[in-house]
Amino acid sequence: MTTNHQSSRHARTRLSLRRRRFLGALGATAAALPLIPVPDSVAQEAGGHRRIIYLFSPNGTIYDEWNPSGGETDFTFREILSPLEGLEPYVTVIDGLRHPAGGPGSRHAQGPHKFMAGSRLLDGDQGGGGNTSSGYGSHQTADQRIADVVGQETPFSSLELGVQNGGANVRSRMAYRASNQPIVPEDNPYALFDRLFKDLDQDETSLERLRAERLSVIDAVSGQLRRVADRSGTADRVKLEAHLEVVRSIERRLENGFGANCVAPTVGDTIDHQADDNYQVVSELMLDQLVMAMACDLTRVSTLMWSRATSNQIFPFLGFTDKHHELSHEPDSNGAAQNKLVQINRFFAGQLRYLMDRLAEVPEGDGTMLDNTLIVWGNELGKGNSHTHRPVPIVLAGGAAGHFAMGRNLDIEETDMNRLLVSTLQFMGLDDDTFGNLDQGSGGLAALA
Amino acid sequence: MDMRLHTSFRAAAPLAIAVAAAACTGIIGDGVEDGSAGPPGSDDDTLEGFSPLRRLTALQYERTVRDLIGVSVEGAAVLAGDERVGPFKSNVVAPVTELNVEQYMAVAETIAQAALADLGSLVTCDPDDIGELQCGDRFIDDFGTRALRRPLDADTREEFRQVFAQGRETSFEDGIRLVIQAALQSPYFLYHVEVTPSGDEAEGSEPVALTPHALAARLSYFLWRTMPDRALFEAAERGELSTSAQIRVQVERMLEDPRAGFAVEQFIRAWLHIDDMRELAKDPDLFPEVDDALLESMAQDAARVGDYVVREGEGTLDALFTTPYSFAQGPLAAFYGIEPSDGEVPVILDRDERAGLLTQPAFLAKAGHSDQSSPIHRGVVVREDFLCQPLPDPPPTVDDTPPEVDPDATTRERFAQLTSGPGCAGCHRLIDGVGFGFEAYDAVGAYREREGDLPVDDRGNVVGAEDATGEFEGAIELSAQLAASQITRRCVVNQWFRFALGRIESEADERDLASVYATFGDHADLRELIVAIAQSRPFITRYPGR
Repeated sequence: MTTNHQSSRHARTRLSLRRRRFLGALGATAAALPLIPVPDSVAQEAGGHRRIIYLFSPNGTIYDEWNPSGGETDFTFREILSPLEGLEPYVTVIDGLRHPAGGPGSRHAQGPHKFMAGSRLLDGDQGGGGNTSSGYGSHQTADQRIADVVGQETPFSSLELGVQNGGANVRSRMAYRASNQPIVPEDNPYALFDRLFKDLDQDETSLERLRAERLSVIDAVSGQLRRVADRSGTADRVKLEAHLEVVRSIERRLENGFGANCVAPTVGDTIDHQADDNYQVVSELMLDQLVMAMACDLTRVSTLMWSRATSNQIFPFLGFTDKHHELSHEPDSNGAAQNKLVQINRFFAGQLRYLMDRLAEVPEGDGTMLDNTLIVWGNELGKGNSHTHRPVPIVLAGGAAGHFAMGRNLDIEETDMNRLLVSTLQFMGLDDDTFGNLDQGSGGLAALA
Repeated sequence: MDMRLHTSFRAAAPLAIAVAAAACTGIIGDGVEDGSAGPPGSDDDTLEGFSPLRRLTALQYERTVRDLIGVSVEGAAVLAGDERVGPFKSNVVAPVTELNVEQYMAVAETIAQAALADLGSLVTCDPDDIGELQCGDRFIDDFGTRALRRPLDADTREEFRQVFAQGRETSFEDGIRLVIQAALQSPYFLYHVEVTPSGDEAEGSEPVALTPHALAARLSYFLWRTMPDRALFEAAERGELSTSAQIRVQVERMLEDPRAGFAVEQFIRAWLHIDDMRELAKDPDLFPEVDDALLESMAQDAARVGDYVVREGEGTLDALFTTPYSFAQGPLAAFYGIEPSDGEVPVILDRDERAGLLTQPAFLAKAGHSDQSSPIHRGVVVREDFLCQPLPDPPPTVDDTPPEVDPDATTRERFAQLTSGPGCAGCHRLIDGVGFGFEAYDAVGAYREREGDLPVDDRGNVVGAEDATGEFEGAIELSAQLAASQITRRCVVNQWFRFALGRIESEADERDLASVYATFGDHADLRELIVAIAQSRPFITRYPGR
């Protein structure tokens, strides 16, 4: 393993192709191997960069099995968070954060935006009529605020991932560049691979040609976008300029040749990434690639949305085929439904564990990438059957580079999500004091200090 | 800019919601957390029209590439999902993000590479004969004009020449490939660009006529869901799209084309919410014969019947809602218990069991649970998409789990009990009275007179729906009641308008729509409706953006 790292660090571009073929031939076993290379830039950084990952799972939780037992620093996970056992020092559970009240839309629709932006939705006609319909979110999300600052140093200012995420609407979007500008998450692991790693397969000459061709096309397209934008009224111009901005960021990436000293992971044989049966495999493929992208310093900021708010995902591999949203409406007295919801939420905790384990395989400084990472796992609701926003279940994970004292079971007085969002911005080096258009206070979450 | 978009979308609300939601939300009261005032700085009072820039849907992309280049690509597999306007796919709100643009880049590279396999069909000149540069120029003009759906301006032509030169460093073919790649990423290809060369700033706030090429593209994406053909391009170039009579000639020509059949089928599928049957699962113990293939064939038959009525048959709303045509073969014929049709001439199903669109099993199965019918889903679709009266979401505290199946009570009895509570009844009197009318059809849309040992009660009552209001017995009577009503006819006009323009109607459209309502209200002739929409002022003009 170490030997591989050493050799690949020297002749990386040439080796990457051979390496992939080799690993491909190993098949399933290969996926289990820790394949993370350590790019020079990261290795040279004394402690490694800070990274942040926001995770979303839908339809609320079952608090009795979500809350750990015990005290603030001496606690035991109950059923839902039991997959995190053994990593207690890397986990902080916060009971008491709430989505700030206000704005149009049903609570399912509001949830992802309140979790990520502490902000209201725009008016619009998504999701029924009358006063529960809404548009998209009205504010930049925390990940994008961070991406604006730290994202400029990496090829991808941020990565937005999803697992069986669904169509284009407010319930399936957790990241926003700006008001009314939701970011489409990638939920196809093979397309993600192509996007992040495909070019690594090319030899230097073809890569140069590809780059020159793409830049030439971008020149032409940019000119056309600019001219149409200049002629358009404000609303259309905003759209076209957003398009232009994206084209330019791709252009910068091509010009800088970022990512060339990175080794592609293996994604194995193609499976149907939308099949219910493959949900876990797809989720893990996304997480593998996320960890690799961060290890290669392709990005330091990411979001991942499991399904979407109000998701009716079924999880046949858990042994039942009930739809998640319908289950979440069952009353507390329905023990069978409660048990299934516990298992679904436990599954997502297991995926968090998977992510933590992968991060912990990447050596960085004196520790691992997990030490430098903060993971924030949230939800659009507290309880599914009462649609409550007060509180909502929040789990922090990772070492957070020592910025917060982790390993705590916090039961706090009801506090708006905005405080936590400010804490995450500050963790990533920003000095913002407030965040979101429903922010009623200032500063980070006091309980974390 | 949020304000602008959001203003234009809200503009639909005062027109559409009026009756149902007012009655309904008044009872729900504080079902949501607070009021629905706009974000800071919004100006909800201004309700001028606006024609938002629209981006091709995945399906439009796929069909355009096929017609432009002859290359097959599955749009839905390589492009991110589409937004919807009402029930129809249309990308009008969110701008593209990095993922979209990288998808466009990747798929353009794949398509351009594939196009080289049959270069002769795209490049009509011989570079050995007239020289590579000249042949490249000719290709840029010919292909570029079709790809961008307009004559090239000097800047754009020059940009493509630069791209061609870059590719030609490798070879002539690579020059061509790169021009294709660039054209497929041009905003003129990816969006329905309708702004005129003089720009919106110069145009004030009154609606302005579309350029002939923009109108040609509107017609083709309305009627065909793809780019204009040669004849339409030529009509645009010759200025033959400038009168209502000329537009009629084109529309009638285009409706004869199989591409129009595809578009009408898309309309029907979206309208009935049956455009994706894959997400449907029926209880395999109760319905062992119902698999994905049968469900999809139900949707295909519904769409094909709709197209048949619109383009070949009577062409009236009445026929669409009351004549039980089917092209059923194979498992679908077995499902109906009929002799298979020959696939060409429609058979007429038992008129005591089926009427038209609203008795299509695809609709009934889609708006049904896995193990029982769903009066609520069925009622909501009728209310929202056939009466154009949007309903609010259930209040946040409601438990909307379907009741347990119980052999001692009918579905109707179980649901009626569930929705009669004080927080529910306000809206459900608008929903259930319609939905119970479909009780003669089970979870998969099969006709039934008994539910287990109990007789089916499919009497219903439409309330708060203007001239569609009134009691009825069964979905067949309901269908006739709706087809004859002005409120449904107006709704049908609105739905075709949304399908045609890819946006919600606004107050600025009201006066023009009123005359379409009046005409369609008299005869309910669907072919004439399509012509009338294509001739209407909102269709042949655009509101400059601000």
